[in-house]
Amino acid sequence: MIRSVESAQGVRGLAVATYGLCKRYGGETVLDRVDLRVPDGAVYVLVGANGAGKSTTFRMLMNLARPDAGTAEVFGMDTHRKDAHVRAQVGYVSDVRDRAYPNVTCGRLLQHVAVFYPAWDAAYATHLSRALEVRLERKVRSLSKGEAQRLHLVLALAHRPPLLLLDEPIDGLDPVIRRTTLALLIEHIADTQTTVLLSTHQLHEVQSLADHVGVLRGGRLIAQMSRDDLEGTVRRYRVEVPDGWMPPPGLRMAGLRRSSGGREIQATLLGGERDVVERLTLAGGRVREAQPLTFEDAALVLLTEEMAG
Amino acid sequence: MLVTLDPGDARPLYLQIMDEVRRTLVVGTLQPEDPLPSVRELAAELLVNPRTVSQAYRELEREGIVYVRRGQGTFVAPNVHRGWAERRALGLEVAKRALLEARRSGLGVEDLLRFIGEVADSEEEVPSDAMAAANQGDEE
Repeated sequence: MIRSVESAQGVRGLAVATYGLCKRYGGETVLDRVDLRVPDGAVYVLVGANGAGKSTTFRMLMNLARPDAGTAEVFGMDTHRKDAHVRAQVGYVSDVRDRAYPNVTCGRLLQHVAVFYPAWDAAYATHLSRALEVRLERKVRSLSKGEAQRLHLVLALAHRPPLLLLDEPIDGLDPVIRRTTLALLIEHIADTQTTVLLSTHQLHEVQSLADHVGVLRGGRLIAQMSRDDLEGTVRRYRVEVPDGWMPPPGLRMAGLRRSSGGREIQATLLGGERDVVERLTLAGGRVREAQPLTFEDAALVLLTEEMAG
Repeated sequence: MLVTLDPGDARPLYLQIMDEVRRTLVVGTLQPEDPLPSVRELAAELLVNPRTVSQAYRELEREGIVYVRRGQGTFVAPNVHRGWAERRALGLEVAKRALLEARRSGLGVEDLLRFIGEVADSEEEVPSDAMAAANQGDEE
């Protein structure tokens, strides 16, 4: 597991931290010793395939699910024992676009939720509703999935909480609304001191926004790092190699391809460039090129990497 | 100021934004004392983290290309006018990319220079309106 956030930040200055979080449903492990570290003020993107444990992690932070082992903290508060305090600090969009209060109108629901939050900004709620095309006179029951999702975004943002937990907030929205949503989120970050933890399958949409990334695979957090570290850690190499060459054991790599003649390989490798080049050279290769990857490509590598040897 | 980012460009975003500001300066669409868009505005337009735009503006300020008027925003420095320094910085970035591309194809510096010359010569025979317009601002 690659860690750099903790060493750089210490445990202080964290908006979200989980310690050895475990969850099993039936015989299946959903979360396996997850140690999430979301620095205060970060835009942290959590990626992973369906069923990797992203939504379960969010639900535990909201105390909607209990861990079998481990604890979670939001701004240093235990999410189980202090759950009401935690919720007061959080804007949450769930991946289940639930339609609680089906018989009230969207406008009435906004008024209802506003009462719970002293910091509720009614003018901002109106602005968001308009921008996200939430029709306030509509009954919650009659909303489509996408409309319910947009309504929940308004509810999450309008009290300007210090932490936003957004579980797939843009997935399933049409491209135009998705762009609007991202622009609103960016304006929100510019105006408000906010930490954002969000999950998505639309990595390319958020790649310019993210400054931290965490990768869940099969319930394990296999990597989490800052954008700078990610960009410094992953390179696509082209290497001239002798016949029958095998990659040196212990290298973390993804997408190994060999040229038809076998004398050149291309692979994405994890690690400091100098170290990787040294190991490839020692193994008889001649590195022709080490190309940096975009945030999206680099994150995808973390999702698919394997250990050589 | 019109800024666009190339999603396939793997360089850090703040560097890309700095280059775009330099480009608009060299081309002349951005003039001394012109205001730059606010951090919030440009971030929302490019869909990038506001911190990234702030970082780009900070670096540009350090280089003396822009300055901050308190409470009013960021402006192009009065003495910046398609100056040699900006052209050089921009040119070095273009050269770096070209050289990287050349090396990948097994070409050296000499080769690259020669072929650039060849391509430029063949283009000069049919100057396009766009290129003529772009070159107009060069006489200083």
